[in-house]
Amino acid sequence: MDDWKPSALIKPFGARKKRSWYLTWKYKLTNQRALRRFCQTGAVLFLLVTVIVNIKLILDTRRAISEANEDPEPEKDYDEALGRLESPRRRGSGPRRVLDVEVYSSRSKVYVAVDGTTVLEDEAREQGRGIHVIVLNQATGHVMAKRVFDTYSPHEDEAMVLFLNMVAPGRVLICTIKDEGSFHLKDTAKALLRSLGSQAGPALGWRDTWAFVGRKGGPVLGEKHSKSPALSSWGDPVLLKTDVPLSSAEEAECHWADTELNRRRHRFCSKVEGYGSVCSCKDPTPIEFSPDPLPDNKVFNVPVAVIAGNRPNYLYRMLRSLLSAQGVSPQMITVFIDGYYEEPMDVVALFGLRGIQHTPISIKNARVSQHYKASLTATFNLFPEAKFAVVLEEDLDIAVDFFSFLSQSIHLLEEDDSLYCISAWNDQGYEHTAEDPALLYRVETMPGLGWVLRKSLYKEELEPKWPTPEKLWDWDMWMRMPEQRRGRECIIPDISRSYHFGIVGLNMNGYFHEAYFKKHKFNTVPGVQLRNVDSLKKEAYEVEVHRLLSEAEVLDHSKNPCEDSFLPDTEGHTYVAFIRMEKDDDFTTWTQLAKCLHIWDLDVRGNHRGLWRLFRKRNHFLVNEEATINHPNFLGATPKGGGSPRSCRTDMRPPPGPCRAGPGSESNLFIDCPEGLGNRRKPVGP
Amino acid sequence: MSRINKNVILALLTLTSSAFLLFQLYYYKHYLSAKNGAGLSKSKGSRIGFDGTQWRTVKKFIMLTSSQNVPVFLIDPLILELINKNFEQVKNASHGSASECKFFCVPRDFTAFALQYHLWKNEESWFRIAENMGFQCLKFESKDPRLDGIDSLSGTEIPLHYICTLASHAVHLVVFHERSGNYLWHGHLRLKGHIDRKFVPFRKLQFGRYPGAFDRPELQQVTIDGLEVLIPKDPMHFLEEIPHSRFIECRYKEARAFFQQYLDDNTVEAMAFRKSAKELLQLAAKTLKKLGVRFWLSSGTCLGWYRQCGIIPYSKDVDLGIFIQDYKSDIISAFQDAGLPLKHKFGKVEDSLELSFQGKDDVKLDIFFFYEETDYMWNGGTQAKTGKKFKYLFPKFTLCWTEFVDMKVRVPCETIEYIEANYGKTWKVPVRTWDWKRSPHNVQPNGVWPISEWDEVIQLY
Repeated sequence: MDDWKPSALIKPFGARKKRSWYLTWKYKLTNQRALRRFCQTGAVLFLLVTVIVNIKLILDTRRAISEANEDPEPEKDYDEALGRLESPRRRGSGPRRVLDVEVYSSRSKVYVAVDGTTVLEDEAREQGRGIHVIVLNQATGHVMAKRVFDTYSPHEDEAMVLFLNMVAPGRVLICTIKDEGSFHLKDTAKALLRSLGSQAGPALGWRDTWAFVGRKGGPVLGEKHSKSPALSSWGDPVLLKTDVPLSSAEEAECHWADTELNRRRHRFCSKVEGYGSVCSCKDPTPIEFSPDPLPDNKVFNVPVAVIAGNRPNYLYRMLRSLLSAQGVSPQMITVFIDGYYEEPMDVVALFGLRGIQHTPISIKNARVSQHYKASLTATFNLFPEAKFAVVLEEDLDIAVDFFSFLSQSIHLLEEDDSLYCISAWNDQGYEHTAEDPALLYRVETMPGLGWVLRKSLYKEELEPKWPTPEKLWDWDMWMRMPEQRRGRECIIPDISRSYHFGIVGLNMNGYFHEAYFKKHKFNTVPGVQLRNVDSLKKEAYEVEVHRLLSEAEVLDHSKNPCEDSFLPDTEGHTYVAFIRMEKDDDFTTWTQLAKCLHIWDLDVRGNHRGLWRLFRKRNHFLVNEEATINHPNFLGATPKGGGSPRSCRTDMRPPPGPCRAGPGSESNLFIDCPEGLGNRRKPVGP
Repeated sequence: MSRINKNVILALLTLTSSAFLLFQLYYYKHYLSAKNGAGLSKSKGSRIGFDGTQWRTVKKFIMLTSSQNVPVFLIDPLILELINKNFEQVKNASHGSASECKFFCVPRDFTAFALQYHLWKNEESWFRIAENMGFQCLKFESKDPRLDGIDSLSGTEIPLHYICTLASHAVHLVVFHERSGNYLWHGHLRLKGHIDRKFVPFRKLQFGRYPGAFDRPELQQVTIDGLEVLIPKDPMHFLEEIPHSRFIECRYKEARAFFQQYLDDNTVEAMAFRKSAKELLQLAAKTLKKLGVRFWLSSGTCLGWYRQCGIIPYSKDVDLGIFIQDYKSDIISAFQDAGLPLKHKFGKVEDSLELSFQGKDDVKLDIFFFYEETDYMWNGGTQAKTGKKFKYLFPKFTLCWTEFVDMKVRVPCETIEYIEANYGKTWKVPVRTWDWKRSPHNVQPNGVWPISEWDEVIQLY
C-alpha cells in the first residue's frame, strides 16, 4: 500500500500538467477527426485490456486462496454423496396401506401374524408365560421390538410399564397373554393399559385370555378378551383379526439435523423400539459422549472386549456407561455378540463401534465359555500389539473412573508375576462393607465382572488348554481352578468400579440379583487417586498386611459377630476378628460369618491367605485365621501353647444356620481372648 | 465545451486505469513471490510443472489427510525410487525450497499412499470430506482375515483400499492392518460385479494384485516438491520388500475340517512340544533375519502350516529351507551365539548341504539348502553311517509370506505342488512313522560320498 500513495499524489499533478499540454494540441488538431477517433479508440482498447487483466488477477487470487484454505468448499458432489448414503432408507411402503394383523391368546399358545407372516409363535411348555408385547413400525409394518413380561411374577409389570412408556407415540402395539398375566399386574400397569385405550386390560383377571392391537397415543384397533370362568381353568382362546392402516413414512420419522451421528440414530430408530429418549424427535439423548480425557492414560491403547449375548437393552445401557467413562477410547472397543442377533448389532452400530457376531456352538455354559475363548482370541488378533485386554460383559455399568483405576494399577500386572488379573469388582464390596475408593486389595479369587487379562497369560497358558465345547464348564469357574490360577492373585478395589445390573441371564434371576448384587457399592466419584499402589506388590503387600494386623484392635470375641454391636460405634479404626480354619481351604466359619454379614457366602471370595478385609460402620474390619497371630512379625502374638489352646477366635462352626443372638449362647461360638491380646487396647466407645 | 469534457474524461480515465494497471502488475508479482518463499522464484520459469494435475491432486489429498489427522505415508514405488536416488537432497530440503517439481510431476496414473488402519480415527467423516473436496472415491472392503482363524466369527468388513480420483489423477490409498507377528498386511483389491471397471486403469495399480505383508516401517517427514509427506525412513528397504510382498493366508477352513476328522492332540506333551517348537522357530527366524538370510517353512513344518495351520505335535523337529545362493558362512556361528549348538552338518556348500541345530527340550532345527537346476529344485540328504547320498526333487517355486504361530514367515507360493512332491497326493492323511530315506515321494538315491570326503561332509556333534 505504500506504493499506492505516491501514485495518488502524482495523479492530480500529472493531470493538471496534461491539461495545458492538451489545450495546445487541441487547437492544432481540431479538424483532424481521424486522429481524434484513433485516440479515442485507443483509450477504449486500453480500458478493455485493463478490465481483462483485472479479471484475470481476481480469478488467480481466488484460486490461490481457495487452495491455501483448507476448508473444503461445498460442491455438487457433496449432495450426490448425501443422496447415495440415504438411499437405503425406506421411503413409503408401496401401494398397500393396510396391514392385516392376527393375534391369538390362549393357555398354551400365543401367536401374532402380520400380513400372513408369523412374527411371534410360542407354544413351548413352561415358557413364555405372561404378556407378550410386539411393536410395529406404523409406516412399514416391521417388527421393531418383541418382549415378554411375566406379569405372573413380581416386578415384571414395572418392566412392562417402563418399556411401554419408552415406545414412541404412533407405533402399533400388539399385546397377547399366554397362560397367566394378571397375578402381579399392579395398578400402575393397569392404568397404563387404560391410557392406551384398552377396555379389558385394566380389568384383567386370573387366567384371562386377552389380545389387543392399538396405536400408542392413538385409537384402539382391536381388542378381544375372555374371562376365566373359575380359578382352576383358563379363559377361552381368543383370536383377534384386525386391519391396521399404515401411516406415511414422514409421520413415522423424526427430522433431526443431518449429521453423522443423526444418520446413525436414524438407522437405529427406524428399526428398533424400546430405547426411550435416544429416539425422541424433539430432544434426543446424545449418542456421543465426550468424557474428559485422562492425563497420562496408560490404558488408552488397551483393547476392550465386550462380551454380549442377546440382551440388547443391557448392551445399550452398558455401552452408554462405558463410553461415558473418562479415558475411554472407542476405537479400541469390540463388542462380541454370541449368535446372529440383529438388535445387539444395531445397538453397536448406533454407537459407531465395532461388532463381531459369533455362530453359537455348544450349549449353555459351554457356549458362553466358547464365546469367551473366541472373543479373547479375536481381540488379541485384532490388536496384535496389545499386552493386555479389558474384558467386560453386557450387564455391567462402568464407573466413571474405571479407566483411571486401571491406568493407575496396570503397571502392577507388568511388574508382578504373582498377579493373575486386575478386576474392577469386589465380591465383598456391598453398601455396608465398602468405604474407601482409594484402597486396593489383593485377593486369591478371580472376581471377573470387568477385568484385565494379560496377553501372555492367555496365549501361553489359558488358550491352549481352554475347556473344549463338550466340557460343560463355566469359563470363570475354570479360571478359578488351582491348575489355572496357580497361586496367583488379583488386584481389586474396595469400592467396585463396575456394577452388575443384569437380572435375566444364564445363572441369574431376580431373587438372586436382589440378594447378592443389588446392594453392591459402585464408585461414582471421578478421578479417584488410588493410594499406595505399589504396596500391592507381592512382598510389599505382606508387609502391609502385617502392619495392619499388628495395629488392629482385637474385637471382643465374646460378642456375637452377627450383631451390629460386635464392632464399636467408632470411625476410622481398624479392628480384627479371628476365625478358625482347620486347613487352608477350610472356610466353614467364614461362610457362616459372611452369611450373617449379608455379603457373598455362596463360595469363598475375597480372601488373601486367610485374611478378609471389609469395612463396617466406617471402620476397617479384618477377619483373619487364627494361625497368623503366631507369625513372628505379629507384634501382639502370644506364643502358642502359652495360653488357651484355642487362643482367640470366633468359631462359628457348630451352629449351622443363622447366628444366634447375644453372647453366652450354649455353643462355643465365642471364646475369650487371652489377656495379652484382648486387653492390649482399651475398648473404644461406650 | 461538451466535446472537450468528453475527451478530458476519456484521457483521465485512461491515465487512472494505466496507473492502476501498473500497481496491479506490481502487486501480483509481489503476491506470487511471497507465496513461494522469500527471495525465491522471481521468474515464472522456475516453477516447472507445479500446475500439473498430478501435483495438484496429491497436494489436495495431503491437505485433506493432514487436516483430518490421518497419518498417511507415501509408498509409491516410482516416487520412492526417485526419492531414494536423491535422498540426501530430499532430507536436507526445507519447506518451499523446491524450484522444480521433480517427484510428484512425473507422469503416471496413480500415486500410492498407505495408512495404518488402527491410527485412523474418523474414517466415515474423512470419506465424506474427501467427496466434499471433489474427490471421487471407491472403497474396497472385505472380511477381516484376522478373524478367519477363529471358528465361526463374523465381523463387520474392514476397508482394504481406497481409490480417489480428482481431475484425472488418482490417489491409491492402501489400508494396512496390523497382524500378529509384528507386521502390516494389506488385502487383495478385488473388483466385484458392480464396480466400474473403467474408473481407473486398475491393471496398472502397484498394490492390491495380491495381498501383501510388510515390516512395519518407521516413518519420517520430508518435504517433496513443496509438500510435506511422511515416507518410510528406509525407502530402500521398503522398495526391496515390494516385489516379494505377496502374502497367502493359511487355509483355516480346511484346517478346521481336518481337525473334525482327526481330532487335535491336546495332551500335555503335545502342547509342550508345540510351545518349544514355536520358540525354536521364533529364535531361528530372528537369527536368520539378523543375517539377512531368506528362509521358508519346509517339509513337516510346511505341511503342518498347510494342512492344519499349526505345528504337527509328533513331527519332533522344525524344518526350514534356504536357497544355497543365500548361504552365509556365519550361519553356524550365529546360531551357536543364539544358543543353538550345531548337531550335525552334512554335505558341503557345493553339494547337498544340510545343517542341524539342537534346540531346547530335544527339539531339533533342520536347515535344508536348496539347489536350483533349469527345471527343478532339489535338496540333499546324507546317511551318516553309510555315506549314502539322497536327493529330494521339487518343482520350481517362488516364495510368499504367510502367518504361522504368530509369526510372519515365508512358504513356497506354490504350496500344494511343493507338498505333493514331498508327501504325495495323500498328504491330508496324518502319518506318524516317517523314514526320511524312503517315505518321501520325491527321494532319489544320489550315489555315495567318497570316503576321502567323509570328514568334511559328515560332521556329527
